Amino acid sequence: MELILANHSSFPRIGDSADLQLLRRTIGQFEKGQKGPADLRAAEDRMVELALQEQAEAGLDLVTDGLIRWYDPISHLAGKLAGARINGLLRFFDTNCYFRQPVIEARLERNGPLVVEEFEFARRKTSRPLKAVLTGPLTLARHSIVGNGAEAGGAVVQKLVEEYAEALALEVRALAAAGAPLIQIEEPVLLRHPEDLPLARKCLETFSARKGAAQLGLAVYFGDPGPVYDRLQALPVDMLVLDFTYSRGLADRVAASCSDKILGLGLVDGRNSKLERPETVAGEVERIARGARAGRIHLTTSSGLEYLPRDRAVLKLKLLTRIKDSLMRNAR
Amino acid sequence: MSREKLRQLGIDLPLFPTTSVGSFPKPDYLMKARADYAKELISRENLEAAERRATEFWIKTQDELGVDVLVDGEMYRGDMVAYFAEHMDGFEEGGLVRSYGNRYYHKPIIVGEIRWKKPITAEWWKYTQSLTKRPVKGMLTGPYTVMDWSFNEYYPDRRAVCLALAKEIRKEVAALIQAGAKIIQIDEPASSVRPEELPLIVDSMRVVTEGQPAYFISHLCYGAFETIYPGMLDLAVDNLDLEMSNSGLDMLALFKKHRYTKDISFGVVDVHSHVVEKESVVAERLRKALEVIPKGALWVDPDCGLKTRTVEEAVEKMKTLVAAARALRN
Repeated sequence: MELILANHSSFPRIGDSADLQLLRRTIGQFEKGQKGPADLRAAEDRMVELALQEQAEAGLDLVTDGLIRWYDPISHLAGKLAGARINGLLRFFDTNCYFRQPVIEARLERNGPLVVEEFEFARRKTSRPLKAVLTGPLTLARHSIVGNGAEAGGAVVQKLVEEYAEALALEVRALAAAGAPLIQIEEPVLLRHPEDLPLARKCLETFSARKGAAQLGLAVYFGDPGPVYDRLQALPVDMLVLDFTYSRGLADRVAASCSDKILGLGLVDGRNSKLERPETVAGEVERIARGARAGRIHLTTSSGLEYLPRDRAVLKLKLLTRIKDSLMRNAR
Repeated sequence: MSREKLRQLGIDLPLFPTTSVGSFPKPDYLMKARADYAKELISRENLEAAERRATEFWIKTQDELGVDVLVDGEMYRGDMVAYFAEHMDGFEEGGLVRSYGNRYYHKPIIVGEIRWKKPITAEWWKYTQSLTKRPVKGMLTGPYTVMDWSFNEYYPDRRAVCLALAKEIRKEVAALIQAGAKIIQIDEPASSVRPEELPLIVDSMRVVTEGQPAYFISHLCYGAFETIYPGMLDLAVDNLDLEMSNSGLDMLALFKKHRYTKDISFGVVDVHSHVVEKESVVAERLRKALEVIPKGALWVDPDCGLKTRTVEEAVEKMKTLVAAARALRN
């Protein structure tokens, strides 16, 4: 079995020391007109470099740019699409973190890159394989509101999903062309709306057709994937990334089914600061690995790390290395 | 029923009592004092003097506006969870995490057994009540929200944390009652984040309030409350304070389907908008409320704390809602 230590997606964009508060400070100055767009870009660049560096130092095999430039998982993408206007704050799932809600006023269209330039910058700054991350069309649509004030639901959701998916498919193609080895589509909303799985399949088929040599991953989190695990396995993706923190029985469930897909095991809690015992997690990885026919496992956190203070996020990443060490010891 | 409870507590309120949810904007001099204190440029006494000055301003302002049930404005608090964590055993301050955009806060970490040491808010309440003849609410953050907005490194699970907190927060309720508070608000804005945990919220609120002689309000906001209604009516409080105008009064449709059975503090102005609502807009919202809510059960307030507005905006919004409530009484 090949075990890859991977960052899930986001990484904290702030720390307690002054140098790690560069971006916050610069945004504040930018909003007061004391700094310009170039200053803001430079601060973002610096924080991306630091995030990449800390992931590498923690021993990760697969890193991300930490989504450092993202205002939130919804408006960062929707806000770049023609047809969407960004509105007020709403809570993102059961976090104490808020996103700005897109108001859809016209047909959504991608008129330019969403994250591919960010990906290209990060790729130049790291020697490690770099994962690309996109919030999926269902999660975007379910967190949008249509222009007349009605919440997105039913037929409205389907139309929005299709429009978001068309735009994101272009981004998938651009990321693949830019050399992304793995493109992770984040669809936490699927665990709240399993009735959207047929729509998810359609979207993922579209992305799959445009992914070129890249692998396509689907990440679900902020809920228990157990009840829909078999249906997730049937989706047209190379990899499933799962949140194990909502159900103690999920590891048994996954271990019992032989997965043909690469599995991303979110066994380390990305939202609580408590550090897991490496031996305990290693035992779960071993059990699951026995049934993983694809022969490759990504060990990661249950969700992005932006919900943790930076020092704890780094400890969680270092924990992944300790879990791998524990596995290696057991294998001897 | 709740009006009778208030009378028994010695509080006689007019129809459509007006109040505010909790926080008011901190004046510039207090913001500067907080920053200076953080940099150790001024003493704790200097900071408290600024906090008292700002509290006096807001009490005087609410009195002059004719608000019926006052709040202290939370001039002495930064974050609604961290403040209580700082004053109880079992917590340590965590590093910065993002709230939204470029806003961050220190999220507390539970590292040991949670223990209430001594009254946290009672002295502030006594001081504030001494400034006015009108009733001042005691203001606490509820156990579920403190649990959900903290990291847990000590207790085995969320239920254990929440119930441990409830037991300790009950002591703060008792301290407020002993100090003389008759109306106590327990904020639970996190209450809809995991609808399946509503029974835990109900159980923990019961631990906090059961048998305690006060009129209890719980403020819930910015969540998917349709997912916990009507179950949230089981909360052991007299009044639910709900953000209604931001969500287009959509909860009223639910109240029509399943009767709303408590008093309600009905949010009639949006706290995230710079625009001050016209009195006619607020009046229309209240008219719609009265299609569903008995008039004796209706209180009037903003959607949430006004701390993100400017002082001027906050005052104007309060002025408007007081005017609309008075017009309705007449």
